[in-house]
Amino acid sequence: MHAEILVRMINQIAEFYGSGAEPETAAKETLSHVQRMWAHRMCRQMVEIGAADPGLSPVARRAVELLVASDAAKRAAG
Amino acid sequence: MYAIDHTDLGTPPSDIAKQVTVEIDGLSIAVPEGTSVMRAAALAGTSIPKLCATDSLKAFGSCRLCLVEIEGRRGYPASCTTLVADGMKIRTESDKLSQLRRGVVELYVSEHPLDCDGCPADGHCELQSMAKLHGVTGNVFAKDGRCSERITHESKARVQALMTDDSNPYFSFDPSLCIACSRCVRACDETQGTLALTISGRGLASQVSASAGESFINSECVSCGACVEACPTAALSEKSIAALARPAEKSVTTTCAYCGVGCSLKAEVVDGQVSRMVPNRAGHANQGHACVKGRFAYGYATHPDRIKSPMIRAKITDPWREVSWDEAINHAASEFRRIQSQYGRGAVGGITSSRCTNEEVYLVQKLIRAAFGNNNVDTCARVCHSPTGFGLKQTLGESAGTQTFMSVMKSDVIIVMGANPTDGHPVFASHLKRALRAGAKLIVIDPREIALTRTPHIESAYHLQLRPGTNVSVITALAHVIVTEGLVKEDYVTERCEKEAFEKWRTWVADPRHSPEATEATTGVPAATVRGAARLYASAVNGSIYYGLGVTEHSQGSTTVMGIANLAMATGNIGREGVGVNPLRGQNNVQGSCDMGSFPHEFPGYRHVSDDSTRHLFEGAWGVELSDEPGLRIPNMFEAALDGSFKGMYIQGEDLAQSDPNTHHVVAALSSLECLVVQDIFMCETAKFAHVLLPGSSFLEKDGTFTNAERRISRVRKVMEPLAGLADWEVTQQLANALGYPMNYSHPSQIMDEIAKLTPTFHGVTYDKLDQQGSIQWPCNADAPAGTPTMHIGSFVRGKGKFFVTEYVPTPERVNARFPLLLTTGRVLTQYNVGAQTRRTQNNVWHSQDMVEIHPHDAEVRGIVDGDWIGIASRAGETVLRAEVTERVQPGVIYTTFHFPESGANVVTTDNSDWATNCPEYKVTAVQVVKVERPLDWQVRFRQNRESRLPSRRDVAHETA
Amino acid sequence: MTSADTAELQAVEAAIARHAHEPGPLIVVLHAVQDALGYIPEHSIRRIAEALNLSRAEVHGVVTFYHYFRTHKPGQRTIQICRAEACQARGCQSLERHAREKLGIDFHETTADGATSLEMVFCMGNCATGPAIRIDGRLYSHVTPERFDALLAHQEDAQ
Repeated sequence: MHAEILVRMINQIAEFYGSGAEPETAAKETLSHVQRMWAHRMCRQMVEIGAADPGLSPVARRAVELLVASDAAKRAAG
Repeated sequence: MYAIDHTDLGTPPSDIAKQVTVEIDGLSIAVPEGTSVMRAAALAGTSIPKLCATDSLKAFGSCRLCLVEIEGRRGYPASCTTLVADGMKIRTESDKLSQLRRGVVELYVSEHPLDCDGCPADGHCELQSMAKLHGVTGNVFAKDGRCSERITHESKARVQALMTDDSNPYFSFDPSLCIACSRCVRACDETQGTLALTISGRGLASQVSASAGESFINSECVSCGACVEACPTAALSEKSIAALARPAEKSVTTTCAYCGVGCSLKAEVVDGQVSRMVPNRAGHANQGHACVKGRFAYGYATHPDRIKSPMIRAKITDPWREVSWDEAINHAASEFRRIQSQYGRGAVGGITSSRCTNEEVYLVQKLIRAAFGNNNVDTCARVCHSPTGFGLKQTLGESAGTQTFMSVMKSDVIIVMGANPTDGHPVFASHLKRALRAGAKLIVIDPREIALTRTPHIESAYHLQLRPGTNVSVITALAHVIVTEGLVKEDYVTERCEKEAFEKWRTWVADPRHSPEATEATTGVPAATVRGAARLYASAVNGSIYYGLGVTEHSQGSTTVMGIANLAMATGNIGREGVGVNPLRGQNNVQGSCDMGSFPHEFPGYRHVSDDSTRHLFEGAWGVELSDEPGLRIPNMFEAALDGSFKGMYIQGEDLAQSDPNTHHVVAALSSLECLVVQDIFMCETAKFAHVLLPGSSFLEKDGTFTNAERRISRVRKVMEPLAGLADWEVTQQLANALGYPMNYSHPSQIMDEIAKLTPTFHGVTYDKLDQQGSIQWPCNADAPAGTPTMHIGSFVRGKGKFFVTEYVPTPERVNARFPLLLTTGRVLTQYNVGAQTRRTQNNVWHSQDMVEIHPHDAEVRGIVDGDWIGIASRAGETVLRAEVTERVQPGVIYTTFHFPESGANVVTTDNSDWATNCPEYKVTAVQVVKVERPLDWQVRFRQNRESRLPSRRDVAHETA
Repeated sequence: MTSADTAELQAVEAAIARHAHEPGPLIVVLHAVQDALGYIPEHSIRRIAEALNLSRAEVHGVVTFYHYFRTHKPGQRTIQICRAEACQARGCQSLERHAREKLGIDFHETTADGATSLEMVFCMGNCATGPAIRIDGRLYSHVTPERFDALLAHQEDAQ
């Protein structure tokens, strides 16, 4: 899947959860949404794209950081 | 003529609870107060003779046949218009009554010769019955016995007017058989609400007229057929039975396969074929009514285009080869397994059909989860109401509407947003119109003037004619008014909703930037209109909201749904009759398809795949380990296909190549698959990219259930054998077995039993209970053994309702100088969605091509007049359609339908979608429009070759119904 | 659309503008149209229905129910002959026959030259002095066939 599509999607989700909310809470809700609704391969691809992608909004970036961390924790747990 | 097995009780039932006792011919009976004497007698087993009365219509009292004698009352009152009173004693038979009635019948017969032989109503004609009953065999006033001279001019006009009107493809009107009982006029008024018929003239010259003496096809008639059913003679009769020599041998109760109203219909059968469809009077959703599609347009099921044999081919450029079922299924199975071993378990997936039964959908998702071993399953709800599923689950706790359709009768303020019920859900629209004509107020939120905005006797109190793409802004502005003007139902919210979320929302929405005045420039809706509408809705005793794809098919579809739920909760309008949040689900079984676990992230019953206890429950029942990771949605499947990681699909009854947006993208994705298996009743657009074609079965060819927009599960019953030999569920079962996953159901009821066992909201559902009750609204379980008409009574399914902040985010799809107009889409009454069914019926007579509605201003600056070909170009593609210049759309907005593949509406729609569900943003596409000379070459070729025939077979020309 | 049609539609619009907001306005509007144009043009039914938010069928039903409402241009003059019981008793049947023969038309018809329309009415309250007729709304009593001819001639002379 094209990176820019995934970045666009997560930005949109982050925008929804970000309205009127603390950024950290918004990022966590974005993470939760993505983990519940996205196919696993899309999550993995987002991890590969990484939080450094310049197209990510601040809340989306934080959510991707949390996603990367969550993914690493899962791998470590085996 | 009404259904062959209908016993007409004469007048409608009373809904008064109090009972009164009357005596009819010495027999005592208790009936509700407000019941007519005629109906009371019928309930007591006595049929009082009648002609102008029928139990679907209010008493009229014109024929004077139903006279009775009432002790203590003078004269001979009509029993249809006389209501029972406690202690009343009625006599239905006497010499005097017989004499009076015979006189009336003689007068009728003098105008309607008893030429019964060969008449389609022979044996069922009510005039014939009355004549027989009263011993009238001919015209007693003929020749010498004439009691009045016919006025010459009236005779001339009458003879001219006595020509049969055959203009409607489904029924004819023969005025010479009409007895001017007015049942048709009243049916068009009371049942349908269109008022297309009248009695023109008076006295002996009285005649039924469609509109202003027009032919039926040119009149205001919408061909619902209510008049045909109400007609006591053959004056109005279905052409499909006129051709038959004998009456129906049986009547099978089933459910319509068109829209989400889910009308209960009776298929009358002659020689194993459907002779006509008659609405079931006992149908809870439709209350004895139907529309042109359900009642008349079932002929597609036996159209020559039906695929009757499985076919396979190695490459999509190869011709099809007809093969046996075994060969096709084994080939499909081996291909799927090959792809999985080569590309990975997740390289295959499937799509369930929202037109197939619950049982069939369940089997497809079971096959994908258990046999494929992944969760790559999705359904057409993705492209229509997936935001409803998401939004209502978040706010209320359940992915479904909250009421029954009849709840609208108790509503006093009704909002219709992004929906066009007269066209998309016609039978519901008839209920709605009755409520409006009884005094309910209407608020329409739509970029376009829909029929309901102004239609005979109905006018919306407010029409918020917003710019496409600004739904959230308008909904928020409405909420702003309700909160800042103190219109919130504080007690309700305190008791039933999460406090913190509500307070956060209340503070946010009260911000002046959300006011109607501040948002007017964006939405195009005058502030006063928003304020008026908000006050009206909030001040209603019972306020209800009905919405459709004009809400969901947007980049903020889920947000708007949540905004709607916010409005309903803030005003205390959830949890009883007459209120609620009501998504008008499109397809006959899209609700069921979602219920049955067609989403990639949810098992049946909307339980997340990562939820261990649910997954273990299914693993135990299905005997395999199941994936806990959400699978691919339809748009993701396309993306994955294009990047090479998704190679095989099993698609049941879904025409993605026509219905999904951005056609070029879809076609590219489908073309890249190595094994596309399409199971469909016709060679649809998607099948052109398939490697295996499995014949599907229509709703007439199988047993099962559909679930409508009311969460109402209704039976589908087999009327004829599947044309290709197997019902859809049998095909899926065979494919599962070929994949090595055993399935051996012998009847769909067993599949429902399994569903019920595994799904709490369905625990109490069985075919026996469906037979007893007629239908069941889920949840149906120990808490609600008979089902649940109204949801969230007392508390919400999630406990407390949750308010969500709904910040307006403009769609990425922006107009600019290059694409200055906005295209939005919708439906018409006579065609259904991609038209696969309706295009193969005579409904083409009303709508034979999709047109573009364009405002006179926009047309004028481009030199466009009515009927011109116009090119519509967007960032995604271009197409050409004919123009219709009208003020129904506002300047800056154009509108079209999408029922014909050659229209290419989805060639221009974009890949923008709802943030939460990827529901495509069909309703907002920035376009430019120019006048052109002709359609594009591919459109011309397409129209010439529409519905490409099979290379190996030509069927004999077939008369569709 | 001809200029005559346009003029007619203008008259219809004027009738609508004047009366549409009254309670139960349909018959009032129809009278106003017929007063202005002498009849109710078929092409006005759609516009009247739309303006009053009724169906075309409803308007058509009312227009055709009342004999008074005409859907064809009337003749330059309209003759109404009373056919109620009292006038029948006073011999209006022979008057009817004579009128139809003389004009060459039946009731509800107009002569080919557009000069005269013939209509029937039922009781103008002139029972003791029937047969009674009206010519363009003016009432005449004791109308025998001879008097009928004389009235027509006089009217033509006056014109």
